[in-house]
Amino acid sequence: MKDHWHEQIQRYVNGQSSEEEATALHEALAEDAELRALYLDYINLDVALGAAAAVAAAVTEIEAGQAGSRARPFPLLSSHPWRWIAATAACAVLVVLLMPPGHRDSSRRRPDFAVTISSAQRAIARLSYEPGTSIPTWMSPTASLLDQPRFPQ
Amino acid sequence: MAHLFGENEWKMLMSDLNAPLHDQFLRLFAEHEPALRTFVRSLVPSLAAASEVMQEVAVVLWQKFAEFDETRDFRRWAFGVARYEALAYLRDKARDRHVFDDELVGRLADEAAAAGHRHDAQREALDACLQKLPEPQRALVLAAYTKGTRMDELAAQRGQTAMSLYKVLHRIRQALLECVRHTIAREEVT
Repeated sequence: MKDHWHEQIQRYVNGQSSEEEATALHEALAEDAELRALYLDYINLDVALGAAAAVAAAVTEIEAGQAGSRARPFPLLSSHPWRWIAATAACAVLVVLLMPPGHRDSSRRRPDFAVTISSAQRAIARLSYEPGTSIPTWMSPTASLLDQPRFPQ
Repeated sequence: MAHLFGENEWKMLMSDLNAPLHDQFLRLFAEHEPALRTFVRSLVPSLAAASEVMQEVAVVLWQKFAEFDETRDFRRWAFGVARYEALAYLRDKARDRHVFDDELVGRLADEAAAAGHRHDAQREALDACLQKLPEPQRALVLAAYTKGTRMDELAAQRGQTAMSLYKVLHRIRQALLECVRHTIAREEVT
């Protein structure tokens, strides 16, 4: 098949043909079965390329969406988790090294839970104690709300 | 369009559908849609016209599907409906210089229907042929066929005139068509 008709068919399919070119192609198609087969194959290729482009565009869109959803509010944590593990390990080593020798005594490695609990209870009791306020009542805008209501006689 | 139906209307519509019939139709239509689209595209002057006709074809096929005899060939039946719809479209556009006369339309319709399986094989071969193209050419041809692409803008991005871009695309398409034809010929030999 001559290159001429390859080009003429594609120009026709793209809507680029002049009136003379379109007429010439119509006449040739009416007479030539082989040319009609070529025309139909180009049409099929045109439709298939349209479908392939739509699939490629959809894949690109999905990949772009996935890339967006992969962005975390803490990118360092997600992209380099080993950094955080190393930093935590280094902190733990530092804490142990900075402890007074008595705290590193092997006899005290096991925590005394009873002592811990009782000290925690004392701390809670201290927190729940409400000392008298050191702010004069006239400085507090809500202090008057605590006064007994007074009714007119 | 997305708000044409409220939730209740959708529920009513979906409850009215015969689900097994609907599934069967969708399976058959999805299977034969590419061949139908090629068939319609071969008869009408543009991709936009083909899309317009295909919408009508899909509606008519679904409306008549309850009467479709399962022992018949769905493809043949669908091609008949598509031919009728394409001819109806062409009658409305008879003044367009890109519209074939009735006799040529009849020949093309018969030959396109007969070439359906050859075209199926060509579509299957196209993927491998696209992979054989150098990456810049593959990207270019896919960009040219992406919906909404304007050829003059694509040409400007590449520092070309629209005419020179069309010539590049012509060469790529010709190479692709030769590739799919050779691929199928090789498969037939083996």
